[in-house]
Amino acid sequence: MILLMAWRNIWRNKLRSLVIVLSIALGLFAGIAVLGLYKGMMKSRVRDVIDAEQGHLQIHEPGFKKDEEPKFILSDGQMLFNTINKLPQVKAASPRSVTNGMLATASGSAGVRINGIIPELEYRTSQLKAKITDGQPFDANRRNQVMIGKKLALKMKLKTGSKLVLTFTDSTGNLVSGAFRVAAIYQSNNTPLDERNVYVRIADLDNLLNIPGAFHEIAVLLKNDEEVVSVQTLLQRRFPGYQIENWREISPETDLLIKTTNQYSYIIMVIIMFALAFGIVNTMLMAILERTREIGMMVALGTTRIRVFFLILTETIFITVAGAPAGILAGWIVVGYFNKSGLNIAGMGKEMMSSFGFGTMVYPEFPGDKLPGILLIVIGTAIISSLFPAIKALRLRPAAALMR
Amino acid sequence: MAALEKIPDKKETVIDAHNISKVYNADTVPVHAVNNVHLHLLKGEFTALVGPSGSGKTTLLNLIGGLDKPDSGQIYINGVDITRLSSGRLIDFRLQNIGFVFQSFNLIPVLTARENVEFIMLLQGKGSSVRDRRVKQLFGQIQMENKLDSRPAQLSGGQQQRVAVARALASKPKFVLADEPTANLDSQSASNLLDIMLKLNREEGMTFLFSTHDQRVIDRARRVIRLVDGRIVSDTAAVSTAHTQ
Repeated sequence: MILLMAWRNIWRNKLRSLVIVLSIALGLFAGIAVLGLYKGMMKSRVRDVIDAEQGHLQIHEPGFKKDEEPKFILSDGQMLFNTINKLPQVKAASPRSVTNGMLATASGSAGVRINGIIPELEYRTSQLKAKITDGQPFDANRRNQVMIGKKLALKMKLKTGSKLVLTFTDSTGNLVSGAFRVAAIYQSNNTPLDERNVYVRIADLDNLLNIPGAFHEIAVLLKNDEEVVSVQTLLQRRFPGYQIENWREISPETDLLIKTTNQYSYIIMVIIMFALAFGIVNTMLMAILERTREIGMMVALGTTRIRVFFLILTETIFITVAGAPAGILAGWIVVGYFNKSGLNIAGMGKEMMSSFGFGTMVYPEFPGDKLPGILLIVIGTAIISSLFPAIKALRLRPAAALMR
Repeated sequence: MAALEKIPDKKETVIDAHNISKVYNADTVPVHAVNNVHLHLLKGEFTALVGPSGSGKTTLLNLIGGLDKPDSGQIYINGVDITRLSSGRLIDFRLQNIGFVFQSFNLIPVLTARENVEFIMLLQGKGSSVRDRRVKQLFGQIQMENKLDSRPAQLSGGQQQRVAVARALASKPKFVLADEPTANLDSQSASNLLDIMLKLNREEGMTFLFSTHDQRVIDRARRVIRLVDGRIVSDTAAVSTAHTQ
């Protein structure tokens, strides 16, 4: 009966209740839209990290990651690469020679990470070819070609065909230099990486590093994201002497970003609901003040205070939760639409977005996984909002309330 | 030796109030709403509490009904001193022992007539078959079997007050307190309501204590207690045509 009364009570003043129901729906819609946008951005960022930067897994010699010294080549690298390449879970794998050095031109110099790659394998692993904005991919008939990021090209005033010198230490610690010509300029969604990473053929780099046929790193792209841990465990068991890391370990900042964004998502929902709570409290207070006499009568007849409290609580939960389906539905429709068509947020600043590793085209995703949390926040808001009006109702003295 | 059986008291005491007083604005300008009142009511009485506005009728009813606490004195309902009950126990005591009829009907507007009457029995935890039987019986007594599913707003004032009487009786209370039950009714509705109350008093032995200004109601009361400035100035058995019949 209390539930029935609560439901009927909220429709006693239809307009007032509809306003609050609509506010909740709009608040939820806004929250879901923001969470959907975040989820889309995070998913896109993770895809970039996996598909265009790190791969799902990377394998190194244990000492390599500390200073990236060229001497830490993968022992039995070719055998390891062949084994990995044959795994059914593996979509693509790319061996890389890596060293840090100096890029110099007539106009200046910059510190860079030089990646020696086998172009055909790298194109499949990190989509490098697809990122080319100017020039041509590596020409099999030419030596000492380099591919540089757009940001670096602008900074160093380089164009396709420009000459540059890469200087670094070889595997024995001697300083070596090589002259390279810019074959192509690439651009990814991550400006800091574009500014720092240059790509050359692995044979050219190995020659200078004095590690012919060897490499430092194998980047592995899997067919399925869910298999990262199982493949990592499998490889670690079979090759215990290597350092095998997944993308979360390679890029802890991305992992941290996802976790932080998840927390922010809930904070945003809490802020939206906190603002709405004032409206709910106001509405419920008005409803109770209008019904002072009725509540006094109910207590006079023998309704316990806990029942009155439960009635107010239920009314508040009903009025709050009534807006939830509409808000969620609207959020689902709008987020679903932009999930298909994409949302261009270049207006927020392409440079700024890119400097944080984000693209400007976002495909928001309905945050279904966060729905239980969102609903908990909504119900929590309702309960907290009901406390003040309910306490106000509990303090009514039946004799005084009946006189009003 | 056989246990002594309690001989049923034909004149069982329902309300026994001693020296009850209630003062409002005690710190500023004290108003003695009820001043040292003694009241003794037996089962089956049909008593009118009369007096001018501000004489303390409603306050006295509130005190007897446990809706307010006296500043001094004791009120025994069926032998229980309700002035000593905690607020929580008092609510339950009211639910089990006292029926209320208010001046302005005070039905719960979102519930139908049937639900309003059932509400009390639900609070008492009675099962649906018991509730159904009682609802049928009460609506028969108030002659409103065809209005079970009407909301209060769909009923006339007289009909609403009859539902309020049915609600007051739903819990099978020891007595019913009615604060100016006919004040908002036209004369025909007031007369109908009184007929029902008297019938219930006669047939079920239900005790009624009601405040009123209405001379037609006073004329039909079996006992009339007159209050002036919070004091009982007379307590007489009225000569009622209804009772002499």
